[in-house]
Amino acid sequence: MKSTKGSACPVERGEEEILLRYCAGTLAAEGAAQLEGHVTSCSRCRMWVQEQQMVWRALESWELEPVTADFDAALLARIAREKEARPGWRGWWERAVGAWSGGLEWRVAVPAAALALLLAAGLAVTNPFRGEPVETAVRLEAREIEQAERALEDLEMLRQLEPPEEDKKL
Amino acid sequence: MMAVATFEHDAELMLRVRDGDAQSFSLLLAKHRGPVIHFLYRMIQNQAVAEELAQEVFLRVYRSRASYEPTAKFTTWLFRIASHVALNHIRDGKHERHQESLDGEGTEGIGRQVASRAPTVEQEMVRESRLAEVRRTVESLPAKQRAAVLMHKYQEMDYAQIAAALECSESAVKSLLFRAYETLRAKLAHLAGRG
Ligand SMILES: [Zn+2]
Repeated sequence: MKSTKGSACPVERGEEEILLRYCAGTLAAEGAAQLEGHVTSCSRCRMWVQEQQMVWRALESWELEPVTADFDAALLARIAREKEARPGWRGWWERAVGAWSGGLEWRVAVPAAALALLLAAGLAVTNPFRGEPVETAVRLEAREIEQAERALEDLEMLRQLEPPEEDKKL
Repeated sequence: MMAVATFEHDAELMLRVRDGDAQSFSLLLAKHRGPVIHFLYRMIQNQAVAEELAQEVFLRVYRSRASYEPTAKFTTWLFRIASHVALNHIRDGKHERHQESLDGEGTEGIGRQVASRAPTVEQEMVRESRLAEVRRTVESLPAKQRAAVLMHKYQEMDYAQIAAALECSESAVKSLLFRAYETLRAKLAHLAGRG
C-alpha cells in the first residue's frame, strides 16, 4: 500500500476519477465491490467518497420552480408566427396540421396560443418578471430578426453534429 | 436496453417531425421540456430567462428538423443545442443583467415555498441558506464546468454524451468534471455536516 505504483488506492495513484464513478454508481458491479472493500479500509478514500456524497446530496436538495403553464402554447405560437413571416415553412405546417388526425386540437391550440401570447404581451406591461416592460413588443420584433439571422448559424452548427462517439462505442 | 429503446423512440419521433408530423413534435416537447428548462435554469439561475432560452432551444430543434439525421442519441443532440444556447447567453454577457433579479425574486420565491411546509422558522432559514450556498457555488463554476456537472449529475449523461454536447474530447470532460467536483467538494461538503 505504500508504493504508489502498485497501490490499490485511487487517491494515491491520482485516479480519483474512479471514485467519482463509484459515487455516481456508474462502475460495473464487480469493480464497485472491489473498490468498496478498499474504501472501507482507506481513510483518504473514505473521506473523498464522503465529501463527494455530501456534494451529491447538496445538489439533490436543489428544488426547482414549476414550468410556466403556457410554455408549449407560447412556443407553438412562435412557430406559427415564424411560418407567417417565412412562407416557405407554411407548406410544411399546413401539411402537418392536415395530416395529423388530431389536427383539430392544433387548429384550436395555435390561435389560442397566439391569443395567449397577445395577452402575455399586454400583461408584460405590468409583469414584474421582465426588466423593461414597455419595450417588450419592440424587443420581440428585434429578437425575431436576430433569430432568423441565427437560423443559418444553427444549420451550420447542427451540420457539425456528426457524433463519432456513438459509432466508436459500437 | 432502456437506452436503446429511448434512443430509437426519440430519434423516430424527430424523423416524423422531419416528415411533417406535428404531434411528434408535441410528444418530444412534452418529454424533454422539463429537463431542458431545468438544465438552463441551473446554468442561468433565473426561471424566466431559462424558459426564454428553452423556447429558443426548441425553436432550433424545430427549425433544424429538415436536416435532422439520427446519428446521435436525441438527448445528446438536444443538450448540445441547449449548451450552445446557454454558453452563448453567458458569453454574450447577458447573464450579468439578471443578477439583481436572481437575488430578489429567486430567494423570495424559495422563502415562500419553504414557508408553506417547513416546521420551524429556524429550519427554514438553515434550508434556505444551504440552498442559496449550493446555488452560489454552482454559479461560481466556470460555465463549461457548470454545464458538464449539470449534465453529469442531473441528466445522468455519460462522458461521451457530455463530450458530444460540449464539443470536446472525453478526456476534456473528465478534466472539467474533476475540477468542478473538486471545487464543489471544497465549498459544499461542510453543508451535510449541518444536519
Ligand atoms: Zn485509498
